[in-house]
Amino acid sequence: MTAVDAPAPEMAADDWTMPSLGAAEYRRRARHYRFRTVRRAAGFLSPYLIVWGVFLAIPVGWGIFLSFNQGGIVDDRKFVGFENWTRAWGDSELRTAVKNTSIYVVIAIGVVFALAIFLASLLNRYKRGSNFYKVALYFPLLAPPILGAMMWFFMTHFDFGVLNLIERGIFGGDGINFLGDNPNALLTIVAVEVWRGLGFWVLFYLAGLQSVPEELQAAARIDGAGKWRRFRRITVPTLRPLLLFALVIAVIFNFQLFDSVQVLTDGGPRLGTATVVWFIHKRLFKFQDTGLAYASSIGLLVVVLILTALSFWLLGKRRQREA
Amino acid sequence: MAEVILRQLTKHFGSVEAVEDVTLRIPDGEFLVLLGPSGCGKSTILRLIAGLEDATRGEILIDGELINFKDPTKRNVAMVFQNYALYPHMTVYKNVAFPLETARMAREEVAEAVQRAAEMLEIEALLKRLPEQLSGGQRQRVALARAIVRQPLVFLMDEPLSNLDAQLRLQTRLELMGLHERLGITTIYVTHDQVEAMTMGQRIAVMRDGRIQQMGDPTEVYDVPANTFVATFLGAPPMNLVGGSLERRNGQTYFRVEGYELAVDPAVSGIAPYVLAEASGEAQLGVRPEHLTLAPPDAEGLPGVVRFLEPVGSDLFVSVMVAGHAVQVRMPPDTRVSTGSDVRLVFDPARSHIFGADSQNLRS
Amino acid sequence: MAGDVTPDPPALEEVPATDEISDADAMAERLAEAGRAKRASDRTRKILAYVVLSLFVVIAIGPAFYLISPAFRDSVSLFTYPPEWIPSEPTLENYRFLFSSTSYVRWAINTLIFAGSTTLLTLVTNSMAGYAFARLRFPGRNVLFFVVLATLMVPVAAVLAPTYLTVNTIGDWPIIGNWIDIDTYLGLILPSAVSPLGVFMMRQFIETLPDGLYEAARLDGAGEWRIFTRIVLPLIKPALVVLGIFVFMLTWASYLWPLVAATDNEFRVLTVGIASLKGQFVTDWGILAAASLLTIVPVTIVFLFFQKWFVQASMAGALKQ
Repeated sequence: MTAVDAPAPEMAADDWTMPSLGAAEYRRRARHYRFRTVRRAAGFLSPYLIVWGVFLAIPVGWGIFLSFNQGGIVDDRKFVGFENWTRAWGDSELRTAVKNTSIYVVIAIGVVFALAIFLASLLNRYKRGSNFYKVALYFPLLAPPILGAMMWFFMTHFDFGVLNLIERGIFGGDGINFLGDNPNALLTIVAVEVWRGLGFWVLFYLAGLQSVPEELQAAARIDGAGKWRRFRRITVPTLRPLLLFALVIAVIFNFQLFDSVQVLTDGGPRLGTATVVWFIHKRLFKFQDTGLAYASSIGLLVVVLILTALSFWLLGKRRQREA
Repeated sequence: MAEVILRQLTKHFGSVEAVEDVTLRIPDGEFLVLLGPSGCGKSTILRLIAGLEDATRGEILIDGELINFKDPTKRNVAMVFQNYALYPHMTVYKNVAFPLETARMAREEVAEAVQRAAEMLEIEALLKRLPEQLSGGQRQRVALARAIVRQPLVFLMDEPLSNLDAQLRLQTRLELMGLHERLGITTIYVTHDQVEAMTMGQRIAVMRDGRIQQMGDPTEVYDVPANTFVATFLGAPPMNLVGGSLERRNGQTYFRVEGYELAVDPAVSGIAPYVLAEASGEAQLGVRPEHLTLAPPDAEGLPGVVRFLEPVGSDLFVSVMVAGHAVQVRMPPDTRVSTGSDVRLVFDPARSHIFGADSQNLRS
Repeated sequence: MAGDVTPDPPALEEVPATDEISDADAMAERLAEAGRAKRASDRTRKILAYVVLSLFVVIAIGPAFYLISPAFRDSVSLFTYPPEWIPSEPTLENYRFLFSSTSYVRWAINTLIFAGSTTLLTLVTNSMAGYAFARLRFPGRNVLFFVVLATLMVPVAAVLAPTYLTVNTIGDWPIIGNWIDIDTYLGLILPSAVSPLGVFMMRQFIETLPDGLYEAARLDGAGEWRIFTRIVLPLIKPALVVLGIFVFMLTWASYLWPLVAATDNEFRVLTVGIASLKGQFVTDWGILAAASLLTIVPVTIVFLFFQKWFVQASMAGALKQ
């Protein structure tokens, strides 16, 4: 039915079926009416969007822009094209940092996931007292990473650290150089980070395991499926989507390794524990080489985003296949 | 209290036409029932009036004022939802008081109004409870109290009884009618239950596929259904339809079905002579089960074979095969008839209907 | 891995087939024996499992105990063998030093201001934005949400430098620069409240509330703000608590941003402050231990009271897929 623009004069004035608004006027008012939702949404969104825009979106954009410039903090900024990027690509220190970070990420995530799944399946099986264990394992997360790292700094001190005191006292060794040697230093940092993150991942996987329906396990047991088979056929498929998601989070978190490096080794010895973020921090605040810092920052951002996109793509593909 | 007018009201969800060109007027104080199967657009009409959806086209007027472009908060209509939509974190008192507090009414006035509404719905004893501590019927009453407490212009009810058990439904139905009588508020009531529609509605609008099929008072809609959809949607068991054809010979129209011919007389059937004169081709004969009677095979009537007997206590429903159609006949419970026997179905032509090829009743 | 400790299924294969045994009593006897053997091996596994778990608990909380003793000892007697777990001459000297010669109190207050305001700001802005994304229909909603969400994975470290520059630049502007700058509270807080995780969480949670509630409230005459404060906020309280704890813990423990954004001692927070003690006093472990202990203990007490919420909070970030 098309509305007529004006009430037709020949119609009786009391004909209640006649539209009172012309089509154009109707559309105008409808548009105006719909716009009220935009005003409301703007009211609710603006507090967050302003903070987000100024302190996250703009920095991201600006960082990209500045990675093509040199200077800017004290001296004048000048456009240098891809110079920062080529310098970053060729920087041996950054290469070492990337290598170290990658090694760290692989080992730390491997170890912490293996231990976490193991402990989570124990807690899932033996429920008595599991609350105590959960709380206790979670404890290291309560200490700020920087304090946790400091505790370990003293515990691993070559001369006075409790670990070496025990090592010398009980095993009669010469003491282990936890932080002053390669690859010990990186492995110590792995240990510290595993110590800190283990509780979180145990809880994470426990939540996942508890979503395996009890009946399914029982049914498999009655069907005579062995324990390994049960683990592979029931537990693993349940955890798999979780695992991928966990991997994404863990990679993103761990790629940003900085706090414990700064406290424990400050990148040493001989760059043995230099990480990407440590490198950025140093370029920015010690050497004032901002161009290089921005290029590496954006590089880190790009790597993380690619990894994320990749895992979500994988996840999506798997879901599709399973559907 | 108000008159509600819908003009060419249309709502499309993407390519789905939920409501199509609905025009109707609901006089002040009327209890109108929108009846139809699920997905027919009846709830959408309510939501359009309430402002929960924006119309694609058409106008909605309350008391002569165009409200299409008025925010739902300002339309002053109250709605009772199918699942009641009580605020789970508020006590019954707070729930009922919420619209009044929103309107910035003074504390004492709020208390007074809540008290009045609570008395009317007999929920005074529940005021301090939370919704989760109430039974379905009690929740229903609280939802009603919340709706009436601020004396809205229009009452919208979206299948308010469908979550209640059968007995409670019956009782609440009567109470709702009593409430409407007392308050006299224009009410639009949506249901898919034809019994509710017949018993409660002052008028019924039967809907299908977003369009109003027929509108009228319950007896009108029941007695003279506008088309086969309305004929079969109202009544349990529904009106029987027997497919056949119309033929015109010597100025007389006949409805023919295998082994039977009915002369259609304009005076008796209520069909206008000029309509009858032009009607021909496929048609359906419709007769309600209560207007059919079983007769011996030698009588004059529709020939058929008894298939099933369904005694329901007060009545005996006899299923008869007529020209490939199962026809239900309502008989007194003491009727003696056996399955497999040949019978004739006799009826008063004045209570039968002929539906043309377009499914429309030739009477209308 | 789990296979090592999961007990066998009821060992049906150990029970001989029925036709080998004519005597029902003998069969019952053998069944019972098999059951006993199985119970015994079950018990061993169970004990082993608890031993392993306890070992990890010791590793997890052990270092904290290592803090206690040095914190109450003279630095001279710090390093002895065997390690002195209970100080022979307990002293509060370290604490006296901490309060008199360092700005510990200042740092603690700053930390509370920093973490508290960040949490509050996050809760307010995120719940509002979450509400808009979940309930309000406006053109471009999905695109905007996607853009915001895409920044979820931006690492703090990657935007550290440009964020620093942004805050520094705003600091040079008239008037507003007095409030937002490096070495101001707002300059420290605002960039810490940008993560869209909470917006995402709030949106998901608000979407689960039944539509009928909003519609009923709307017809009851309530505007968006009233619906938000009177209907939505009370109903998402659990999610708010979880998000609040999560953000507070994260902010309180953060180091990198406060390290660059609050260089002045007046605005320094605990993590940065304690770390600065490390070099400042030729690394007196007694003082560091005392400071660390003082920092961790209150949180631990709060944690023990609200552990259920904490655990949920740590899950919230992860499991809200």
